[in-house]
Amino acid sequence: MAERAPAPVRAIPAGRPGGRTGLGSLIVSLIGLGISIYLTVEHFTAATTLACPETGTINCQKVTTSAWSHIGPVPVAVLGLVFFAGMSALCSPPAWRIRALAPTRVVGAVVGVLSALYLVWVELFRVDAICLWCTAVHVCALALLATVLWSTGAVRAGR
Amino acid sequence: MTAKQTPSATSARRSSAGGGNRTGKNATAAQRRAAQKQAAAQRALAAERGQRRQWLLVGGAVLAVIAVVGVLVGIKLAATPANHSSAAQAGSASQQVTSAVSGVPPKVLDSVGAGSIVTPPTALTGAPLSAQGKPRVLYVGAEYCPYCAAERWALAAALSRFGTLSGLGEVSSSPTDVYPNTATLSFHGAGYTSTYLTLTAKEIEGTQRVGNSYAPLDKLDPADATLFENIGKGSFPFVDIGGKYAISGASYDPSVLQGKTQEQIAAALSDPNSPIGKAIDGTANVITAAVCRVTGNQPGNVCTSAGVTAAAKALPASG
Repeated sequence: MAERAPAPVRAIPAGRPGGRTGLGSLIVSLIGLGISIYLTVEHFTAATTLACPETGTINCQKVTTSAWSHIGPVPVAVLGLVFFAGMSALCSPPAWRIRALAPTRVVGAVVGVLSALYLVWVELFRVDAICLWCTAVHVCALALLATVLWSTGAVRAGR
Repeated sequence: MTAKQTPSATSARRSSAGGGNRTGKNATAAQRRAAQKQAAAQRALAAERGQRRQWLLVGGAVLAVIAVVGVLVGIKLAATPANHSSAAQAGSASQQVTSAVSGVPPKVLDSVGAGSIVTPPTALTGAPLSAQGKPRVLYVGAEYCPYCAAERWALAAALSRFGTLSGLGEVSSSPTDVYPNTATLSFHGAGYTSTYLTLTAKEIEGTQRVGNSYAPLDKLDPADATLFENIGKGSFPFVDIGGKYAISGASYDPSVLQGKTQEQIAAALSDPNSPIGKAIDGTANVITAAVCRVTGNQPGNVCTSAGVTAAAKALPASG
């Protein structure tokens, strides 16, 4: 009589450096990067063509041209671009193979979400308007944190 | 018959002779299988625990962020209804806005001329208005007033060509009046320095509702109150330019400002083709031309500029 095979073990997803680990984080980073590029271009051009409705509460131009649209001399849009460019590099497949980058990647994602929370506060309580494009960037920051945490956990479990 | 054995009987005996060894091997295999099963079960358990931890970590982080955003939105929504009946409180004008208003490019002003001004200043025949040996400009308005909201932009841009405004505020007109929530500046608490003229700018009422009126803000001197009542007929805004020209009401259509923020309006001042640029810059040029009449066409580079010269044609001859 043939031996019964042991019950199949549910595999931990990913956990293979160089495989699909972190692919989600890379995709989210690239989406965030794309939106940040758009906002940066709009900032340095006329800033009158933002595809965004103006309903009072939702007003992209009010947000992107407000006194809060700069941190020091640097436009927030540029900071977003730099952030997502850096995270895209950190979330690329070669970077996921370097385990020493894991803490930097997690800290970066956490900083992104904290920045997004600060900007949501600014929109609600200082500018008194919501920018849809900015909200899309904030959602990307949150999704990036989720995917980075998930993939980091998967890599550690796969050790 | 008995001596001869059948093949099956032989096989059975062989099987019986080696039985002890086989049983030991079977036991080892069973143990190994059990150990493998146990190890697999442990791995599966560890994997499940690991995955649960991951879900908790990621889900917890996401839920925490969503909860913080929810709290912020909740606080905002809870605070909003109290402000519905009154316009936004005045705050300081941003550097971006004040820079744009005080620094409209001369080329833009020159190309706009009188722009889309609808009601130019009227000529006065009374005594000249002056202070400290210089012509004086008197502005009387109210922060809730939508026509004042429109006029302040042009007045601030014009006055900035003769001196320096400081401490300008940012405010929106009444949300319950015509042209509701018009984004504008406030002269309440503002200062002005100029070698050519002096400025008295008063916002008589603010934006906070008090019964059927608005909370009082600045106080007029009795002499200025008399001018406001006699020439301005007590209606906002009123501007007396050196006793030679007067403005009552908005000089252009305030609807061009509807839905715009201070930053958007300020940015549009540099665009001679925008409706806002034509209205505000054009009115600023006409006010500038009126001021030039009381400063003896000083400063020359302003008063002889193409935009002011063109705008002066919209002015009536003064008395």
